[in-house]
Amino acid sequence: MHHLTKITAYILIIFVAISINFALPRMMPGDPITSLTDDPTTGMPVIMDEDIKEEIRSYYGLDKPISEQYTDYLKDILKCDLGWSIYYNAPVAEVIFERLKWTLLLVGTSTLIYMILGIFLGAVSAWKRGERGDLGLLVSVLSIGSFPSFFLAMLFIILFGVKLDIFPIFGATTPFMEYSSTFDAFKDVLYHLILPASTLVLTSIDGPYLLMRNSMLGVLGEDYIVTARAKGLTEWAILKDHAIKNALLPITTVIAIRMGFMISGAIFVETVFAYPGIGKLLYDAVSFSDYPLLQGAFLIITLIIIAANFIADMTYLYLDPRVKHG
Amino acid sequence: MRKLLVFLMLAALLASGFAGMPAAAEDKKVLKIEGGDYGYPSPFTFYSRGPGYIRMSLIFDTLTWKDDEEIIPWLAKSWKSENGGTKWTLYLEDDVRWHDGEPLTADDVKFTYEYIKDHSGSPLFKWFSVLNYMDHVEAPNDRTVVVTLTDPLPSFLTDFAGCIPIIPEHIWKDVSDPTRFTDPEAVIGSGPFKLAEYNKAEGYYLYEANEDYFKGVPLVDELILLEVGDPALALSAGEIDEASFWGSEIDAVETFEADPNFEVISGPSFWVLKTIFNCEKYPTNIPDFRRAIAYGIDRGEIIDQVVHGGAIVANTGILHPDSSWYMPGLPDYAKNDAVANQLLDDLGFIDTDGDGIREYPSGEDLEFELLTGDRFAREAELIQEQLEAIGIKTTVKAMSTKTLDAILKEGNFYIAVSGHGGIANPNLLETPNWPGDTYHNDTYDSIFLEQETEMNHAKRKDLVNQLQKTIANDLPVYTLYHPLIWSVYNPDKLDRWFYTLNGVATGIPIEMNKLIFFARFGDANEDGDIDMRDVTKIARMICWLDPETDAADANRDDKLNVLDIIYTELIILGRV
Repeated sequence: MHHLTKITAYILIIFVAISINFALPRMMPGDPITSLTDDPTTGMPVIMDEDIKEEIRSYYGLDKPISEQYTDYLKDILKCDLGWSIYYNAPVAEVIFERLKWTLLLVGTSTLIYMILGIFLGAVSAWKRGERGDLGLLVSVLSIGSFPSFFLAMLFIILFGVKLDIFPIFGATTPFMEYSSTFDAFKDVLYHLILPASTLVLTSIDGPYLLMRNSMLGVLGEDYIVTARAKGLTEWAILKDHAIKNALLPITTVIAIRMGFMISGAIFVETVFAYPGIGKLLYDAVSFSDYPLLQGAFLIITLIIIAANFIADMTYLYLDPRVKHG
Repeated sequence: MRKLLVFLMLAALLASGFAGMPAAAEDKKVLKIEGGDYGYPSPFTFYSRGPGYIRMSLIFDTLTWKDDEEIIPWLAKSWKSENGGTKWTLYLEDDVRWHDGEPLTADDVKFTYEYIKDHSGSPLFKWFSVLNYMDHVEAPNDRTVVVTLTDPLPSFLTDFAGCIPIIPEHIWKDVSDPTRFTDPEAVIGSGPFKLAEYNKAEGYYLYEANEDYFKGVPLVDELILLEVGDPALALSAGEIDEASFWGSEIDAVETFEADPNFEVISGPSFWVLKTIFNCEKYPTNIPDFRRAIAYGIDRGEIIDQVVHGGAIVANTGILHPDSSWYMPGLPDYAKNDAVANQLLDDLGFIDTDGDGIREYPSGEDLEFELLTGDRFAREAELIQEQLEAIGIKTTVKAMSTKTLDAILKEGNFYIAVSGHGGIANPNLLETPNWPGDTYHNDTYDSIFLEQETEMNHAKRKDLVNQLQKTIANDLPVYTLYHPLIWSVYNPDKLDRWFYTLNGVATGIPIEMNKLIFFARFGDANEDGDIDMRDVTKIARMICWLDPETDAADANRDDKLNVLDIIYTELIILGRV
C-alpha cells in the first residue's frame, strides 16, 4: 500500500512537471519562429511576410490551438517521441543524448570525486577540529571553492594547456581521430576530461566538505560516541562505524537535490572548455525559445532528479534502518 | 609589347636557372579555423545564422559571387538584363559537375529556383525569400537560364543570383521535406569542398577539397572548423590557424598585431548600435527633443570607454560607411550640451524647482526608462550619465534581447538601446527603428518603395541618399557605433583572407569567402603566393617547357594564338 502511494506520487509529480515544461517556454516573450527569422545580435533583421511566417508556424504545428498542441505533446511523450528541435533541426532526443552522455561523464566523474573527497576531508577536519590540519583544510578548501569556475578554468587552460602544453584546451575528444583500439579512445577521452573535471571538483568540493564537517561535529557530540569511546573502541572504528555513517544522512539528501543542478550547472566549465555538454544546449534552447528542445531537456532533467530522489530514498533505508521500521 | 619582350628574355634566363629544381613533395595542406556547430550544411538545414550560410556556401555555388570589390561571374559566366530589369538571361559555365560526377545544367538551376519557391514554408526560406519576386524561370538550353521577375529587382545579381545556392535536380526532385533531409546526398553540391565529417554535438566540420572544381583545385586539401572555448588562446597554442574577433575584443587583437607569427586584417561588421526613439509617444515624438538627446550623447566617449576603441562612430543615416550605399557628410550631432540645453529650453522643458532635472510644462519631472538588452547595459549607463548633464533623468532597465524586442514591437517604450546587422543593404532601411515600428513618414515610405525597383544605379543611389538624409535629420533613431571586426590568421597556412564587398551573399560580415581558397591574380602556379616561382612558371609556359599545361597555352582554351600572349602579359601585370 505504502509503495503504491509512493508510485502514484511519482507519476503525479512527473505529470505536473511535464505540464509545467510545456507551459513555461510559451510564457517567454517571442516565439521560436522569431529566432529563425530575426537575428538581432549578429545577423540581419529580416522583415518577413506574415504569410511566410504563418507557413513556417504551421510547419512546426505552432498554429494549432494551444490545447491541441498540449495533447499532441502528451501523446508524443507516451510514444517516447520528444519531437523535432526547431533551431538544431534534428530530433530532440538525438540532440539531447549526444550531449547528455558528455555531461554525465564530466559531471558524474567530478561529482563522484568531489563527494568522496569532500566527505573524507570533512570528516578528517571535524575529527581534528581546531587543530592545525583542520584550519589548513578549512582555509584552503574555502578559498579555492570561492573561485568562480570559469576563472579557474581559464587559469588551467593558460597554465596546463598553453604554457606547459600538457593537456588539450578544448573539446571532449580529438576531432577526426581514428582510434586504433578502445583503450586509445578511452585514453583520449580521459585526457580531455582531466582539466574540466578538476575545475569542477575544486570549485564544488566546499559544499560537501562543509556539510560533512558540520554534520560530523554534531554527531561527535552525541552520547553514543561517548559510549563508543567508553566501550574502548579504537578511534578508527568509532569514526567508521558510528560517526561517518550517521553524519552521512543529511549528505545523501543534498546529493539528490544537487543532481539537477549538476546537469545544468556545469555550463561555465562547458563553455570555457568548449565541452559538448547539455548546459550550453539549455542556454541556447532558452535563448532561441526552441519549445520542443526545452520541453525535452527539462523532461530529462526532471526524470533524473526524480530518479536521484528515489535512489536517495533507497539509500536512506540502507543507511538508517529506522526509516524502514517507521 | 616591348615590356613583354624584355620579360621574355628575363624569364628565359630565370627559367634556365630554375629549370633543374625538383618540385618539393608536398604534404597534405590542412587549414584549421575557429568554428562551432551551425547545422548540417545543406541549403535547408544550416542554422539560420550567417556562419551557417557560410558553411553551406563552401559546398554549394551560386550563379554570381562577390570579391572585395565587385560582383564576379561564378556558375554563370555572363548575363544580361532586359525589359527594364524584369528579365534576366544568364549563361552558365561549360564544364561544371556535381560532386557525384553528374553535369550541372540549366535544368538544375531552373529546378532549384522552382523547388525552393515551392517550399516557402521551409524554415530557412527567409534566406531565399527574394524568390517571391520570381514570376517564372526557363531553361531554353543546357547552358542558358532565363529568369522573369514580377517587378524590377536592382539587386538581382547579389540578392538573387548571388545568394540562392544551386542544388542538383537528380537528388532533390524526390525529396518532399527538405528540412528533414540529412542523408549524405543532401550535401552533394558543386562547390570547392565536399563534406567529409560533421559532428553536431562537438561542433566540428571536416571538408575535403573538390579536386575537379571548375574554378581550379582549392589551395588547401582539408578545411577543418573547430569549436574552441577561447579563440585567442587556441590561436596562440597553434590549435587553429584563423579566428575572428569583434568590438571590445580589440585588446586580444592588439597582442596578435604585435606578434610576427600572425597577421591581422580589419573589416566592417555591417552592424549598428542605436538609440531608438518611440516616435508615437510624447515627448519622444518631437523631433527637436530627439535632436536635443542626440546632442547630449557623446558617442566618442561610449566607444572609448565601453568598446575600448574597437568601433567607429556610426553614420547617422544607419548604412555602414563601408557599404557602397553610404552617404557621407550627414549631420553627426557632435556632443554639445549648450545646443541640447537650448533646444530643451525652447521646447519648454525647464528645471523650475532647481533639482537638476527638467520638468514638463505640466510640472512633472522629465524622466523615463532607458531600455536595453543585457549586452549593452554599460552603453546605456553611460548615456544615462550623459543625459543627466542636460537635465533628463533616465533609469536603465536591462533585459534579455528577446524581451526587449517584444516590448519594442509593442511600442511600449520611450527610448531604447539596441542593435542589428546587415546595414550594407539599403533594404534594411524599410523600418528605420526596427525592431520597433513607430516611425511614420509617407514621403519616406514612398521613396523606399521607389528605390526598391529603380534599375538606374545613379538614380537609386540618390533615392537611398534621400532616405539616409531623412533619418539623419528626423532621428527616429540616433545611431551610436559600428563595431570593427578582425580576422587574425597564420599567414604560413593561408594568407588570402579578405572582407567581401557589402558582406558575403546578402551581407554576411564574415571573412570566409570561398575565394580565399583560390590562387591570386598573377599567381601562375596557383599556390596562393606570388613569388619568383610564378615568374619561372610563366617563363616555362612561354618557352614551351611546361609539361602540365599545354605548351604556351596560357589561357588554357586549347588553342595557341595571340590571346595567350596577351593573357600572359596580363598575368604578369596582375590583371587576370
